[in-house]
Order: sequence, then C-alpha cells, then structure tokens
Amino acid sequence: MNKSVALEINGEIRELAVEPSKTLLQVLRDEMSLIGTKRGCDSGGCGCCTVHVDGKAVYSCMVFASSLHDRKVTTIEGLSRGGELDPLQTAFIEEGAVQCGYCTCGMIMTAKEFLATEEQPDEEQIRHAIAGNLCRCTGYSKIVEAIKTADVNR
Amino acid sequence: MTNTTVVGQSVLRPDAFEKVLGGKGFPVNVALPGMLHAKLLRSPYPHARILSIDASMAEKLPGVKAVLLPKDVPQIKYCPVYFVPTLAPSMVQDMLIMSDTVRYAGQPVAAVAATSPEIAEQALQLIDVDYEELPTVFDTETAMRDGAPRLHEESENNIAVAPSFVFGDLEAGFEDADHIFEGTYKTQRAHTCYMEPRVCVVESEPDGRLTVHSSMQHMFGLREKLAFALGLPESMVKVVKPPYIGGGFGGKLDLGYIEPIAALLSIKTEKPVRIEQTRYEDFITTTRNPIEVYLKTGVKSDGTFTARYARSTLDCGAHATHGAEVINVHGMFGILLTYRCTNQTWEGRTVYTNNMIGGGYRGYGSPQGSFAVESQIDEICEKLDLDPIEFRLKNAHQEGDPHPFNPDFTLSTYRFQDCLRQGAERIGWERRTPAGSSDGIRKRGIGFGCQPVWVSGCMGFPDIYEHSGAIIKLNPDGTANLSNATVDMGSGQIATLCQIAAEELGLQADQVRMTYADTETVPFDAPSHASRVTYSAGTAVKAAAANVKQRLLEVAGVMLEESTENLEVRDGHVHVRGSDRKLSISEVATRAESPFVQMTAEGPAPTTIGEKGTIIGVASMAPPSNPSPSSVEFVEVEVDTETGEVKVLDVVFAHDIGKVINPSAAEGQVEGGFQQGMGYALMENILFDEETGACLTADFLDYKIPTAVEMPSRIESIFIESDEPTGPFGAKSLSEPCCSVPAPAIANAIYNAVGVRVRELPITPEKILAGLGKL
Repeated sequence: MNKSVALEINGEIRELAVEPSKTLLQVLRDEMSLIGTKRGCDSGGCGCCTVHVDGKAVYSCMVFASSLHDRKVTTIEGLSRGGELDPLQTAFIEEGAVQCGYCTCGMIMTAKEFLATEEQPDEEQIRHAIAGNLCRCTGYSKIVEAIKTADVNR
Repeated sequence: MTNTTVVGQSVLRPDAFEKVLGGKGFPVNVALPGMLHAKLLRSPYPHARILSIDASMAEKLPGVKAVLLPKDVPQIKYCPVYFVPTLAPSMVQDMLIMSDTVRYAGQPVAAVAATSPEIAEQALQLIDVDYEELPTVFDTETAMRDGAPRLHEESENNIAVAPSFVFGDLEAGFEDADHIFEGTYKTQRAHTCYMEPRVCVVESEPDGRLTVHSSMQHMFGLREKLAFALGLPESMVKVVKPPYIGGGFGGKLDLGYIEPIAALLSIKTEKPVRIEQTRYEDFITTTRNPIEVYLKTGVKSDGTFTARYARSTLDCGAHATHGAEVINVHGMFGILLTYRCTNQTWEGRTVYTNNMIGGGYRGYGSPQGSFAVESQIDEICEKLDLDPIEFRLKNAHQEGDPHPFNPDFTLSTYRFQDCLRQGAERIGWERRTPAGSSDGIRKRGIGFGCQPVWVSGCMGFPDIYEHSGAIIKLNPDGTANLSNATVDMGSGQIATLCQIAAEELGLQADQVRMTYADTETVPFDAPSHASRVTYSAGTAVKAAAANVKQRLLEVAGVMLEESTENLEVRDGHVHVRGSDRKLSISEVATRAESPFVQMTAEGPAPTTIGEKGTIIGVASMAPPSNPSPSSVEFVEVEVDTETGEVKVLDVVFAHDIGKVINPSAAEGQVEGGFQQGMGYALMENILFDEETGACLTADFLDYKIPTAVEMPSRIESIFIESDEPTGPFGAKSLSEPCCSVPAPAIANAIYNAVGVRVRELPITPEKILAGLGKL
C-alpha cells in the first residue's frame, strides 16, 4: 500500500505516493532522477547518500521517504542555483578535492550543514564533521583544504 | 628538463565540474528504457555440491521475467583477469559463470531478472537449492597437506601455481655472509573499498550483439573475457567506456559474475538487464590476497647483502584469478628486485582454499612483499647497529644500471638515493632516538619504508598487454577532442592526458576535451592499472598529437606557401620561423574543413585538394621501456602504551616520478594512497567465520577504513623530478607505491616508538599491548 506524502524537495513541493519500505535514497534516485545522491553501502556506513532534511545532514539510505511528510529535503542538485556554484562546490574543484567523485556530493552536503552552524572552524572540527563520510581516493587532505577555503569565501 | 607550459601545471580536472553537480557520468546512473533488474542467489556454504535447484515458485512471482541456473550457463572455464590474453598459459582458467560445485560462501548459484530489484530479491527467497556439503579448508598450510579437501581436480595439494626465480648461487651467498637473519611476515585480506559499487547494464540486440556498460577498469578486457566466457566472437560484444567510474584501485580489474549473468538474462528476456552489487557482494568479490612471507637473508657486517632467500604462500581463495600473477609481481618487485644482491632465490605458491576469491589491489603483491622486506631490513639494522638509511643506500641500484627486471631496459633515470636523503631531511631524521627510549605514556617514533623499484606499466612482462592508443581530432574552432580507452577511476587522466596532448599541440589544457570511446571506435588500450596510464597512454597520446601537428603544418604550409620545415606550432598558432607571419590553429582547422570553393567578400576563394580533410591523428603503440620510479615514505607516529593505540602524526613521501604532469593530481595520489596503506597497516582486515566461511566484515561498520579524523593532518609530497628520456615530456609513474610503502613505514616507526616488532598486519592495539607484555 503506497503512502501519500507531501514534501519540499529542492524548493519545490512534491506530492508523492511512496511504498512505506522505500528509503529516501531510493525515492530520490529511482523516482525523481536526482542521481547526485549516491548509494555506497545502504547501511549508514559511508555517507555517499548524505542530503539535508530540514537543514540537517542525514544519510538518505537510513530514512524512509514516507516519514518525511511536510519536511524539507535538499540534495546536491538544490545547492547550485541558476548556474552559480555554491562556494563549497567551487572550492572542491579548485583545491583538487575531487578524484573519483563518488563521495563528493555527500561530502559537500555534510560540509554545507557544518559551515552553516560553525563560525570559522579549525581543522580538527572540520575533520570530525566529515568523519561520517568516507573517501577512498583523497586521504581527505584536499577535502579539508576545500572546506577551509569555502569557509573563507562564503 | 623539457620546457613546458601546460604540462607541469595543476590544471583543474574537467570532470570535477560535473562531479560537484551530481556526477551524471557514473555507470551506476546508466538506465535504459525497459530495463530489468537482476539479483544473484549466493551459496551459504563454503564448499558444496548442488544436487538440485527448484526455481518454479520464483518463476511464477509476478514481475519475474527470467531465472538463470547453472544448467542455463555455458560451461566454459575462463580466467577473469582483464590484462592477460584469455588463454595465457601463465594464468589459470578455473572459473565458470555458474557451476554445480560451490567453493566459497557467497558464490552465485542462481539469478533472477525482474521488473524491480525488490521483486528480484523476493524471488531469490523462493528458489530452493538442495546442497550436499563438502569438507572445507580455510588455511593454506592445511590445504597443501596430503588428504586435504581438494578444490579443483587438476590442482594437486591445492597448489594453483608455484613459480620460482633464481639469481646467482644462494648457497655461496650464505657462506659469504657474516650474519644470517630469518623471519616470517604475514599480511591479511583487504578490500579496495572503491565507493561506487560494481554495477553493469547489458543490452542484447536482436542480432545477438551485446552492448555493455560497467564500472570497470578495462573496456577491452571486459570485451575479451565476456565474449570468451559466453562463447561469442569478440565482435559481438561492444563495451562502452564510462566517462569516469567511482574508484577501482585494482578492484574492478576482472570479469565479475554480474556481467555474464546480466548478458545471459538480457539474451533470455530481450531487455536490458542491470545488476548492482550490494556492499556485501563487493566485499566478497575482489580482495587483496593474504601472503605469508618467510625471509632468510645473509649480510656482511657492513650491511651488504650477500644472499636473499624468500618463500611466499598466497591464499587465493576458491579460484586463482589474479593470484597466479600477483604472486609473480610480489616475488619480483616486492622482494627480489628491490635491492642489489647477486645471490637470490624466491619460491612462491598460490594456494586454493574455501575462502572468498582474491583480486587486484593497488600494488599487486608488492605491499605484502614490501612489509616483509622493509621490516626485516630495520630488524637487521637494529641488531647490527647500522643506520637504516645508509644500509639501503649501500644496497641500492644505481642510475644507469641495467633494469633489474629486464636487462633490455636501463634505469635511465633512478633517484632512489635522493628520495632517501630528501625525505630524511624533511621529516627530521636526526631527531630519531633509539627504539622505545622516549619518555611518557605516549611515545613517539620515526620510521620509513621503501619501494625502490617499481613499474610504469607492464612492458617486458610475459603475457601482459601493454600498448595504448589515441585518436585526436581538431575542431574548426581550434579545440581538439581526444579519445582514449583508459577508464579514469579517479586518478585524473581526463586532465593529464589532455595536458599532454595540449602541450604537444600548442593549445591550452582546456582546449583539449576527453571524449567518448567504445571498443568499436578507438584503438586497444591496456587497463588503468600497473601505474601505467601517464607513461604508456601518455606516450600514445603524445604520438597521436604529433601526427595531428604534422598534418596541421602541412595544411598551414599550403595556406602560407611555406614548407613545413619552416613552420612551428606554439601558443595556439602556426608560426613561420623567423618571421611574424602566422595563422591560428582555428584558421587552419577551418580551412581543412571548408568547402572546396569558399565564397568570401572578395569573391570565390578556391582551396586545393592538399588542404582538405579533418585534421586528425591516430596512434596505437607500445611504450619504449618500463622505467622504474622509486619511493620512500617517512612517518612519525605516537603510540599510547596504555591503550596500544597508534596515531600517525606526520608523513613525508618522496618519489622519483620523472616529470610531474599535474602536481595537484600527483599529490592526490600520494594522499589517497597513504589512507589505503595506513588502513592496511593498522585496521583493515576482512574476517570470516572459520566454520561457515561467511564474511563477517561485509560493511563499513565492521570493515573500518580511516576517516578524516584518523588521518594525519600533514602528508607532504616531495617529487624528485627527473627527465625520463623514454617518457612523455619526461614522465614516469606514481600511483601504486603510494599504497605499498605506508605499512612498513608505520611498522618501523612503531618499533622505533615502543620497541615492539609486529610481523603480522594489521598492527592492532592488541598486538602492540601484547608486545609490551601488557596482554
């Protein structure tokens, strides 16, 4: 039995009929073609699927879409508007923080929430903030640099 | 050093722009109209014979479109490794797409294609398999004993291959020694942990042709292996190169079960079929083989090697796959070739067990060797009171020596010595105190590890593909498109190969764009592996660009009424030497593509036949050599003597890379390689239940890899640039040593900190506390 939910996705109100067993990740990718959100493990272990729900970074593989009635979801597709990149996106490109890029969107979403709540964080705070997002290419050095740069440029 | 303007710059990666917006180019995003989804049923038993399978209930489930069982599958034995010819005698053909015999827990025994992944999954529960369990063996020692359960009829004592290498006279070498050291070093099973799962979509055409999309490191290898396993001519399979994939590191270097199963289901249903592995399936798909290494080493009192003997036993699991080649690379590059020594013998064994299958992983046998060799050298130095840097300098190969791997090649550039000296200076080697001598509960130590000799591809290796191709086409607006078959798994060739082409053509980096390729449109290339792409594919790209340049000069010569010898290309223009006459590349490319008679304001302007035709360059070639990079990594650690916890504080990685094409991308290789190597050294370990063979660490909650918190905040890269005469603009290679040397460096630093020598990876807090006598 599908359940109706109305939620705001990237600024647009969407009325959806979703199977109660579907995760937000599944709905975003399979039903809304928002493929910037990636499946890495389906068990809350890697962070590739991170999105914002009401401004908070969450693993979308760990949330049922049907539980999000009246909530506000932002994905990587909602971060840049009118062709203008978010300072984090620019910094990730310019600092060389993108290698294979599979973790990138989730990492940026986590960093986005963190920078919204923290003024001028130090490196240790940044490292703890992204500890729930795994990356296997970069060793995190350039990701940490990119977040510092974006903090300065925001 | 060659003067360059684009090569040597930290050019931004063109693919990064797309990736920060969502990365639509990943294979995981491929979706075709009418596509079905398939799931694999996997055996819960590590060794069993299938007596019967009843899938009738599954077939009746609404939404199920096809079921595939062992009886439906071609029984052609194959070797899945991409970079060797299918029937290479050095490799072992011991795999079937599906078999009546199960040899590890997790081996696929059936598959279902359905309209959704959920229905396919549900259908798997309705398949009834009757297994007869067989006796199991999970360790190599037991597996090699007489009477042990045998995994493959043709392999006595479960030995898949047993290569050996002999140099000089080992006995004489040991007689010549003042001291002899022995030790056994063990490494564990580890996973590459690429972030994008293995995934494929296969579409069968009405005429039987297959089009394949897959997250893999080698499109030509996939074509060859898939066609072979299915009994098809290669021309019936087209593999499309993905714009990029979400990591690989060697973990996507062989035919998976998913591609042939998706192909057969697609043929059966006449629909495209997609299979995406779960993380559990990824963990049991390709793993770094555990190797146990016994070393016996003879040295003079001054530290000169007189004899080296090594015996390596590799657990390849249920099928040989990469294990038949990893063992060779391990023996040669991980052990024998590392330092000068006249008298050496190495014996290797790749042994079947009922464990999960092994695979390729960055370093390909070298990390296992490096850990043993570099740990033992430090043990020798400690015992004989020798300086570990001087010891290695004394035994090092020298620039100009014949290449220790293949005397047809020369170590034309070789700066291992500079790596040692500069790395030592940057870490502050002089601060190092005797082992365990620092005060306090938390003790600091400094250590290093080396990869003195490594590859830039596989030139000179028996049975391994090593040639590359490129097509470069000029557009009328003066930009160029580059097609090349190597898949970018994150290492950055979308940027670096374009830089090489741009440099040769006098263009800006962003004026060359990497474009589409599939197995029907571009020349063959070996995989993205063996640290080969910059050197080998770079050589072909440079050659193709040189062909474009030649044609550009010919057309410009007609236009300027000058001979090509009087022309040169730079700054986006063709210049007449010694004059200010010039044409832009765009003007020349436009003229080459223009109508024969072009109407201009001044009236008709006829061109000549000689100017006509798209300006295009093609190359398909093997690189001229296999130059050795070398690398040394210094680390400083802090060991908590109460908890056994190790924190890496500082890392300096010095690498003789040849010419650096893109410094930022190169640093990324070092930093990411360190994360993998540090995980291997300290925490990563695939565990399985010793009775059932089931993988116990099949997600990231149980298989821990370093997060940003565990990683050191400073990883300094020192690139010792040399002008390799055989490389494109002087380049050699980088990737794999970045991942091979952290483990011995950390092990040696831990010893320096607390005086505990751990000879088995990973070096967990428990092992350190046990070494300190606290457990």
